[in-house]
Amino acid sequence: MRNGREGDRGREAGEGSGETPAGNSSLNLEWRFNQTLRNVQGLLKGRTFPGKILLTRKSEPHNDPVSLEPSPELGRSYSENELGSSESINSGSEGSAQVSGDMINNTKLQKTKSSITFGEGSSPDVQRSISEGRSTDSARLTKFTKELSGQTVVLENLRELAWSGIPPYMRPNIWRLLLGYAPPNSDRREGVLARKRREYLECVSLYYDIPDSERSDDEITMLRQIAVDCPRTVPDVTFFQHALVQKSLERILYTWAIRHPASGYVQGINDLVTPFLIVFLSEHLSGNVEDWSISDLSPDKISNVEADCYWCLSKLLDGMQDHYTFAQPGIQRLVFKLKELVRRIDEPVSKHMEEQGLEFLQFAFRWFNCLLIREIPFHLVTRLWDTYLAEGDALPEFLVYIFASFLLTWSDALQKYDFQEMVMFLQHLPTHGWTHQELEMVLSRAYMWHAMFNSSPSHLAS
Amino acid sequence: MAGYRAEDDYDYLFKVVLIGDSGVGKSNLLSRFTRNEFNLESKSTIGVEFATRSLNVDGKVIKAQIWDTAGQERYRAITSAYYRGAVGALLVYDVTRRTTFENVERWLKELRDHTDPNIVVMLIGNKSDLRHLVAIPTDDGREFAEKESLYFMETSALEATNVESAFAEVLTQIYRIVSKKAVETGDDAAAAASAPGKGEKINIKDDVSAMKRPGCCSN
Repeated sequence: MRNGREGDRGREAGEGSGETPAGNSSLNLEWRFNQTLRNVQGLLKGRTFPGKILLTRKSEPHNDPVSLEPSPELGRSYSENELGSSESINSGSEGSAQVSGDMINNTKLQKTKSSITFGEGSSPDVQRSISEGRSTDSARLTKFTKELSGQTVVLENLRELAWSGIPPYMRPNIWRLLLGYAPPNSDRREGVLARKRREYLECVSLYYDIPDSERSDDEITMLRQIAVDCPRTVPDVTFFQHALVQKSLERILYTWAIRHPASGYVQGINDLVTPFLIVFLSEHLSGNVEDWSISDLSPDKISNVEADCYWCLSKLLDGMQDHYTFAQPGIQRLVFKLKELVRRIDEPVSKHMEEQGLEFLQFAFRWFNCLLIREIPFHLVTRLWDTYLAEGDALPEFLVYIFASFLLTWSDALQKYDFQEMVMFLQHLPTHGWTHQELEMVLSRAYMWHAMFNSSPSHLAS
Repeated sequence: MAGYRAEDDYDYLFKVVLIGDSGVGKSNLLSRFTRNEFNLESKSTIGVEFATRSLNVDGKVIKAQIWDTAGQERYRAITSAYYRGAVGALLVYDVTRRTTFENVERWLKELRDHTDPNIVVMLIGNKSDLRHLVAIPTDDGREFAEKESLYFMETSALEATNVESAFAEVLTQIYRIVSKKAVETGDDAAAAASAPGKGEKINIKDDVSAMKRPGCCSN
């Protein structure tokens, strides 16, 4: 357990429910911990948070305390169309075909209606919203600034802070540090990054910028597979469809694949580049992602962003090498652990799933393979990744807790479904209206369970 | 749940798999058949996905439980587990991409290594709407299918051409085999031929009891 985390977690959950008194920085750790526990226990008693929120929204959207302070995310999640489909999913009274139909329509509606803000380029005050209040409040900003200002960044301190969310405009620098791509020593930082970026360019010219005649059959197959997948990468965010972005994505993926022959390119790794692309581009482009124009950037800048994405992807996947090798043993192992953990935490759901013959591999495989990018709205992904990257080497094990928490968000609903309904439900989870609040709840609860179960590791002995 | 219950009233449950190279349109064939939808912005399938639809064949309600698999080779270790218990397969290639047709042979081997020899297989050349880009003439597809004793059809998930008939044909052929077997060898063998994999434990019971109903089959 890292020191100080309890404080941040406790506060997080408190804010989520609007119960934290003002000036909470002075509250003691125990109070915060209990506060988190209380929130989590509330969830466990069947008061499933997202379901409740969605229903509240449906009946009395203006009374929801969250709506008092508008933000792009909130405006987005109150659209009528989304309410309709959330409700149909929660009530489970309609045919599954109807449910997924609604969801697909919604995705399209969302695309035209919503604006996705990754908040770079405006002042922290402007960006402030309840859901992101924690990561941008001035006390936290001061802490972040202090951690970053030293000659050598103490990574452990930075991890503790980053776990609960990083202010958007600090994210690029902090992600580079957390992943061990940028060195903690500020004197060396620019030099190292410049060298790494040159190195990436050399790799690209060596492996990518060559005629097919110089590639092996396997390499051609891989390049073809990447070319098939690039246009299918987060297709609901149109920014990724731009030809220059597609090309960058292809170069990053192919170069990574060639340099990691044990796994090579595996479908889904394309998704994992997108948070890096968004975050590193946010250093150069401001406003809504949907309004970004990559053609405004100089080739130099694009190539730097690309290099950063490449190295950060490499660093991230270094800790998950066997997730993408033959038969993907790393993922299979974690899926097994997830099943065991869920059995410990929620016996009734676990029993129901088993009785229905539902295998965890049937739904959780994709979760581990794409790190939940496919399961939550894209505008929440970077926040989720703050926690991922703060976990560092411990990430694979911690994913099990996050995913257990995510799954059990629908503990009540799942117990009402038969095999087929469960599979369909889990393939199209009703998260499209999610805001930071729901995500914070998932993370807080994961944190709690980790604290509880990690002290008795035999609970999860494989 | 009432809607589900009514929908679940079926005589036969058949497990069908969708296989073939990445990007040939498997997921869209499935969504066109089960929900009458086509999504131009679809994502790659990771592992397996699943959908169902019921059809009427000879007055019997046939419920198809269709498993859509990821096309990339790396996923075969995962996806081949879902072949178990399949009584039908749609092996899909893209009529505009020759490699996807060349790989059909490998897919067929994969299928035969993991499934019952009596499985009904249909070869499908998808994306027939892209007429000016066709790289595999219809005759090539048909010829290969005849050589390998497969059913054959060209489809367009985009234009909803032949999608319904392709699935219906596969399900009808399965039904014919199963109901014939039920007459010739008794219920158990027929039930075994269509016994779903472990994932559908509950359904097996329904299925077995359903299998007993068509004692006097219609053909």
